[in-house]
Order: sequence, then structure tokens, then C-alpha cells
Amino acid sequence: MSKAGMLYIERDTLFHRLDGAVKLLMLLAWTVIVFLFQDIRVFIVLFLLGIGLLKSAQLPWTRIRLLVWVIIVFNIFNSIFTILVSPAYGSEVNGTTTVLIDLGYEVLTLETVFYILTLSMKYMSLMPISVLFVYTTHPTRFAGSVNRLGVPYKIAYAFNIAFRYIPDLKKDFLSISNAMQARGVGLARGEGTIVQRLKHYAAIAIPLVQSSLARIDTVANAMDLRGFGKHAKRTWYSSSPWGRVDVIVVIVCAVVLAVSITVRVKGFGTFWYPF
Amino acid sequence: MNKMAESILSFNQFSFQYSSLAEPTLHDICLDIYPGEKILIAGPSGSGKSTLAHCINGLIPFAHKGKISGDYTLKGRCPAEQSIFEISRSVGTIMQDQDSQFIGLTVDEDVAFAFENDCVAPEEMKPRVAEALSMVDMLEHLNQSPHELSGGQKQRVSLAGVMSMDVDILLFDEPLANLDPASGKHAMKLIEDIHRDSGKTVIIIEHRIEDVLEQPVDRIVVMSEGRIVAVGTPDEILSSNVMQENGLREPLYISALKYAGCELTPTVQPSSLEILSSNEQVRRALGEWVEVIDNSSMKSESAPLLELQDVRFAYGEGKEVIKGVSLKIGAGERVALLGNNGAGKTTLSQLLTGMVKPTSGDILLNGESIRQWSIRRRGEQIGYVMQNPNHMITQTMIRDEVGLALRIQGVPQAEITAKVEEVLRICGLYSYRDWPVSALSYGQKKRVTIASILVTEPKLIIVDEPTAGQDFKHYTKFMSFLSRLAEQGVSLLFITHDMHLALEYTERAAVLCNGEIIASGSTASVLTNTEIMNRANLKETSLSMLSRSTEVATPEALVRHFIQYEKLKKQVSEHE
Repeated sequence: MSKAGMLYIERDTLFHRLDGAVKLLMLLAWTVIVFLFQDIRVFIVLFLLGIGLLKSAQLPWTRIRLLVWVIIVFNIFNSIFTILVSPAYGSEVNGTTTVLIDLGYEVLTLETVFYILTLSMKYMSLMPISVLFVYTTHPTRFAGSVNRLGVPYKIAYAFNIAFRYIPDLKKDFLSISNAMQARGVGLARGEGTIVQRLKHYAAIAIPLVQSSLARIDTVANAMDLRGFGKHAKRTWYSSSPWGRVDVIVVIVCAVVLAVSITVRVKGFGTFWYPF
Repeated sequence: MNKMAESILSFNQFSFQYSSLAEPTLHDICLDIYPGEKILIAGPSGSGKSTLAHCINGLIPFAHKGKISGDYTLKGRCPAEQSIFEISRSVGTIMQDQDSQFIGLTVDEDVAFAFENDCVAPEEMKPRVAEALSMVDMLEHLNQSPHELSGGQKQRVSLAGVMSMDVDILLFDEPLANLDPASGKHAMKLIEDIHRDSGKTVIIIEHRIEDVLEQPVDRIVVMSEGRIVAVGTPDEILSSNVMQENGLREPLYISALKYAGCELTPTVQPSSLEILSSNEQVRRALGEWVEVIDNSSMKSESAPLLELQDVRFAYGEGKEVIKGVSLKIGAGERVALLGNNGAGKTTLSQLLTGMVKPTSGDILLNGESIRQWSIRRRGEQIGYVMQNPNHMITQTMIRDEVGLALRIQGVPQAEITAKVEEVLRICGLYSYRDWPVSALSYGQKKRVTIASILVTEPKLIIVDEPTAGQDFKHYTKFMSFLSRLAEQGVSLLFITHDMHLALEYTERAAVLCNGEIIASGSTASVLTNTEIMNRANLKETSLSMLSRSTEVATPEALVRHFIQYEKLKKQVSEHE
């Protein structure tokens, strides 16, 4: 996280300039397309396209690697779990059975392995675009642009406020836990059993919630005093109207989505098994 | 001032009672404020000054409900019949909490907040935001996030935010709270400049009167127990005793002159230290007073309990933030660690409690190195009291909160009960032992946090900013309580930027500046060293200014004399 506690990474690329709402629409279209198909070839194409876009956004690897690893690890666990629970599911889907290993309670089939590979690729094809969305979208500009899409501004602004005060919450948490530790409340590894430590962490919640409530009260007053909620609409300082690129991206997304749906309706894109 | 002018804000037999309370908080307020005036509203905690401020800016009755009786008008109209938004067009409020009121993710966004709510077009906002920021000298910080700014800078951004709305009245709710002396001085100067240049009406709610009065003020309103007890020019108010009578701290130089038996009247203009100092009568009285008692010798130096030896610290590979600090604290000694925000005070206290480990150097407790001690082991010897008691209290019942550390250590229940009760007696909280913490006042909660640390019988207690959030009366009580602990042999280290506190309650002071101790010694001599004070960006007390301008004694002598006189006075009053 940056100093301000935002995930946003400042750069000047096509993706950074794109309107937040346009990026959200793009993410939605991408997701819909991914879930329409069950064909690894489609996913590989989308994955490579995504990686290309991610490269173009010039995000430093050190800043995005945590999220990327979380997605990959989640994916691996998901795959292992699926194999263990239903090692013959792929055969059910494909209608053929090629036994690889006999697990005792069930047989693991080649179809399943390929099915899992397809599934993993499906999630991986969503990864680059999600990372892009998270790291290139400025919270305020995003709030402004979803408001323009028709989301009420009070809801859109909540997003902004959350980003503003998360670092403060983090600071409070640190200072409270420091003072607790000085009083002998063990929080670190090796300072009591897991249950004890969890209990101690729960104890921090009390002052933390209390200070947060006090803060909410102050923030609400500050917003009232400066006219938040005065009118049915509000303008946004750091958002600009859609440019030509924004419109083009939206059109491209719509076209690709329409084509995908047509292709899928025609029957292409069910589970593809090459062997 | 033209009294014939139409008042901009007027209260007439005004009372207010919160819906949740049985008694009114404000009684019979009669006050007229005229356009262009600069008013200080002073009063101790619970005097109703914040409630009055909320009545002015519309939070009452729109955010906090209650019963209003009597009349009040803002620019001729009753605010309660308008909306909070209409009121905010006339009254701009700068709140006490500099951080929470900063709503935007960046400086410019925060200033633009009111424009956005007013549906101003984005292209029209930009120049107006820039204009407002240049007024408070913050234009170069346009794109910074609040976390990169100091408290004083955040306050200036908030000021820009309300200035941009072109309000008639600027209302400052405790603008000096949370600011270090240098930033506070800067803030008062900026408020005065804006007042002079814009001609706006300025209302300042504060209890740190001396700091506010460094800049001219037209009238002071003194509040106590929900009533206005005095209204007058600074000269009139300072000449009277209305401040001490109502639990407020008058400027130190005024106290000194009163002790010296000077007859203060509005004609000698006590609000101006310079004019006062040139008054022959005043100089003579002060000179005679200083000579009356000679300075008794300093307390002999006790063996050091805690010793820091050339301690250095840096976060990771970053720049050194503590650059070779050496410091000794004796048993039962009260020491002030002074320094501006960012001087490294917090890091130094973390080094003592073991939250962070020094990159080099050593920390000794009773001659034994505690470098390798765990946080918990240190905690039994070195207690740490946070600024805000609400950040420390985790249990619902007072008894449980105080006994927490012992319970964790696995001490038998009977022993815990005995110990907790003993500590509660010391802290004057015994009668509350079975109460929930939530029923206590802020000052009492602060005592609970001290009690919860005392149970493990620490040798040293570090108290972070003990005066924060407390008015003069409460903080005097709290500090005398801590001093009694010191008499019983507990060492106290106060981390503070409050010069008055250091002066009155510590024997020794060390000044931290950019991670280095630039001075340490007896508090009276350190605090009167102008060069050190300037270097550390701290503020000279008005006592040393008084001695310099009257030239009747060295600043150190006057300060020592003053402290001794107050101590004697306190003892006398305690005997009575």
C-alpha cells in the first residue's frame, strides 16, 4: 500500500486515463465472457491479452505481486480440492473415461485433469484485468464516475471515505496494540496459545471500535457543515467527462460481448477436450 | 468598535437542553457579536463553550437535537428555522480534530468538497481551490494526501476549505488542541492575518488563553457551568480574577505580576506584555518580589534508574531518526522530554518500551542492559500511558481493566483483588471500583489507565502528552496526583510539547530536536534558553519574555522563583 493507504499506483498510461466506470464496465464484460465459455483456448487468448494490457499499464511488480500471488495460491488450492473431492468429474462432463490413477474411493481420470486445467485457466484469465482495475483506479475518480452511471452519490462517496480513513484505522490499531503489549498482553507469536492471542486481539477491537465511532461522528459533522447532501446531485472535482478513448473502449466491449454471446448461443465454447 | 452597528450574531436569554440530558447545558446566554469582531470564548471543560459553538454553526439543532428557549439570530434570522446548509453559508467551522475533518484524499480535493456539494462545475472549481490554498500558503502541497501533512498544515487546508465558501463568520473550535507550540503560534498569526485582510468575524473557542492572546482579540467571553460569567476586552478580563475563579489558566506573566502584588487595571494594558514591562511601578513590584525569597538549592542528583547510552535508531535501511541519544532518569525524578511533532519523541518512547529495538547503543535499567528484554518484561518495569485513555481501555468494568496485567501474569485471584483495590485507593478511584468504565469522565479514565499500569509496580511511567484533552483544572488535579506518585519513588517521563507542564511539574527537561538531544538540565534553565527554544521550534514562556523585557531578573531566576512561589502557595492552601 502507498503512504495514503491507497492501492492506486500513479502512472500515465492508457489504462490510468480510462474513466473508472468504463474500467468497471470492461471488467464486468470480461467476467461475463469468461463465464460464458468452458473452452481453454478462449481462456488462453484472454489471459495473454490480459497480460499484454497489464504490461502496458507499467505497474511495478513489487507492488502488485501480493495480489497476484494470492490469486495463484487460491487457484492451486481450489484445483487440489476439486481433484480430491471429485476425481472423475471430468469424465462425467466429457462422457469418456481415461483412468490415470486409482485413488481407492474413486479413479482420477485424464479428463478431470484437463478439466481442472481449464478451470484454472478460467480464473487466471480474470487475474490480469482484476489487478489492472484495482491498481489503476483512483478511488475518488471511481466514485465520481459510478455516480455518473446512476449510482446515488451518497453510496459512491462511501467508497471514497473508506479509502480515506483506512490508514487512520491502521494507525490506531498499531498504537493500541503497542500499548497492550507493553501491559503484557501477548499478541506476537510465542506469547501464549493461539486461543489466548486471538482473545487478546479481540480485546483490541473494543477501543478500536470506540475510537472509530467517535471518528465517524466527527466526520459526519464535518461533512454536514460543508454541505454534503445539500442537493440531489453533486459535482466531482477530480473527474472529467468521457473522452473519445472511453467511448471507443465501451463500444469495443459491447461488440465483443455481443459476438461472444452469439457464438456461445450457436453452440461453441462448451468443455473442449483435445484427446 | 461601533456599538451602534447591527449585530451579526445575537443571543438573548438563550438556553439549550440536549434531548438526552435532564438539565440544560446552556443557561440564559445574552451575547451580541458585531461584524468584523474577533472574539475569544474561553471556559473549562463542561462550561458549555462547545455547545455554544454548535448552536452557532447549526450542528445544534440539526445534528444534535434538544430544546431551545429564548431568542437567537444569525444575520437577523433565526438559525433553527433555516437548514444546516444555509447556516454553513454564513458560518464556516474549523473543527478541533484536524485529521478527521480532512475528508478528501488529497489537499485540493478536500478544499473542493464544499464546491462539489454546491454543484460547482469542475473547471470552475480548480482556480477557486488554488486561490483558497494560496491564501493559507498551502498551494505547493496541492496533491499531497493528509498522511503527508502535519497537524498545522491540515488545519490550514480546512481553513482554506471554509474560506473558499466566502462565509461571514469563521468559527474555530479549539484550534490549538493537538498543535505543537510553533504550529499553534503560526495558526494564531494566520487567523489574525485573515481577520485583518478579510474583515470577517472571527470566533475562537479555546482554553489556552495565553497562546490566543499573543495576537490581538477584541473581546473575551468567559463561560462557566453553562453561563456567561464575564465579557470584556482582554485588558478588562486580565485585570480581574475571573479566569482563576473559573478554572482557567491566565497568562503566566499575569499570574507572576499578581503574585508580585501589582495592581492591574485596564489602564496599564495588561494584554500587552511590552507596554506592561515599560511601566515603572510594575518593574519595581516585580523586582522586589523576586528578591523576597532566595532560590533554595536543587534536589541532589539521585542514582540513575534508567540510562540511555548513545542510542541510535533507523527504520530498516532508512534514515536515522534517533541519532545518538544519551539520557539519564533518576529514581523518583520527573523529567520532561520536550520536542516538536516529528522530533522523534514517539520513536524514543517506543525504544524504551521495546516496540522497536535500537540499531546501536544501549538502554540500562538499574545498571542492567534491557536491550534484549521482551516488550512484556519491560512492561512490568516501564509503564506507558497513551495520550487518549479510550485507546487503552479494553475491559468493561474498572476492576477488570485495572487487574488485566496481573490476570495475564497468572497471579492468584485473591492477590489480584487486593492489589487492584490498593491501587484504586492510591488513584482515588476506590469508590468507583465496581463501576463500568463508560460511566467515568475523561480525567477519571486517564486515572484508570494509570492505575492499570501501577498494578505491576513499574519503576518508570512514560506519560504521553498528559494534558491533551484536559482543561487547566482537571490537568492540575491529574498532575498533582502524578507528582504524589513521584514522591513515592516512581520515576515519571512526560513526553510533551506543553511548556507550562514542564515548567511546573518536572525537575529536569531534555529537548529533542531532529532525533538529537540538544539540551538537558534543570527545567528552568532549559526552558529559558532562547537559542535552544528557537532551534527546537518550541516556544518561550511568557515568564522569560517578562524577565527579559523588564530586566529585573534573569529569566531562569524569575522562573525558579515563580515555581517556588506557586508550590508554597499550594502547600498553604492544602493546609487550610
